[in-house]
Amino acid sequence: MDDRKPVTVRASQPERSERIARLVSAAQKGDEDALGEIVTEFSPMLWHIARAAGLSTGDAEDVLQTVWMRLLAHLDGIRTSAALAGWLVTTTKREAWRVRSAGRKQLPADTELFTALPDPGPGSEEQVITDDQRRALWLAIGRLSERCQELLRVIAFVPRPDYAAVAAELGMPVGSIGPTRGRCLAKLRALLGIDPEGSLA
Amino acid sequence: MTHSDAGGRPSAEQSLDETDFRLLDEIRELFQAADPMPADLPERIRFSLALRDLEVEVARLVEQEAVAARGQEQSRTITFDSDSMTIMIRIDANRDGTARVDGWLAPPQRREIEMKTAADSLSVASDEQGRFAFARVPRGTAQLVVRPAEQEGRSVVTPALIL
Repeated sequence: MDDRKPVTVRASQPERSERIARLVSAAQKGDEDALGEIVTEFSPMLWHIARAAGLSTGDAEDVLQTVWMRLLAHLDGIRTSAALAGWLVTTTKREAWRVRSAGRKQLPADTELFTALPDPGPGSEEQVITDDQRRALWLAIGRLSERCQELLRVIAFVPRPDYAAVAAELGMPVGSIGPTRGRCLAKLRALLGIDPEGSLA
Repeated sequence: MTHSDAGGRPSAEQSLDETDFRLLDEIRELFQAADPMPADLPERIRFSLALRDLEVEVARLVEQEAVAARGQEQSRTITFDSDSMTIMIRIDANRDGTARVDGWLAPPQRREIEMKTAADSLSVASDEQGRFAFARVPRGTAQLVVRPAEQEGRSVVTPALIL
């Protein structure tokens, strides 16, 4: 993570929040395409919440379908992107727990996951770090506790403007001015040798 | 990503900085590559949501199991639960590549039952034992809708499933 390299470009925070709020408002009026865009936008986050909770791919798919169908009954009370993200995260976690406690098969921790570096394949975002750096990062994640792996995996998919709304829900500590780094990210940075100011020695 | 030889320990109490966000961006890319969401899942979810204007009761998938059948094709039984009823279906493969779906409603009741598929929708009625059957359903995404017994009742819908 070299500070001089370009940061991955993302839509600016207010821009994205406004866009989601507009989509929510259109979906409330029955716009199917707007609802579809919301589904496309948030489903990857929900997928990783369900999978990080130990569900099989089939169970994770069922949970996502249930969550989105339930959203329809709650959509009218939602105004902002943050409220939407918060509701989706909470409901997905709850549904995932429900499926697990119903005694359906629960996967053992995937110990194989971190042995091979995932292939980002063509079409992934521009590479701002080298393969060696990615490998180091992946191995470092694999050395964290299961709890930290789950937490980092999920928060990595939370859109930045929605952090504050979902941080506490996810077990991320919240300081006086918003979410703080927390034990898991601090541990990861220590493993990678990144100092508190974000620079590398 | 070299190792610092000095430097203090990164503090957990600090606010998230750009480095944290970049790490999270990379973590997202890695998990996206390691365990991708099925590419067609959002499309299937949109299919399920197309019933949104109905006043519906959502049935949850509670159990799914493969059962041994004659021949190579396996059968599946799937159970859905909603507040007002349980729907159990058994899916078998027909020789012509379509699927046969036998179902039971509990408590037993006569209802109109619709099977929505990508192409169109099929409709049958359950008997007083709550049994119903779709002899030939095209393979692909499908969703069951149990119509209300009375005008003002609610439909019960299942999540979309792949036949």
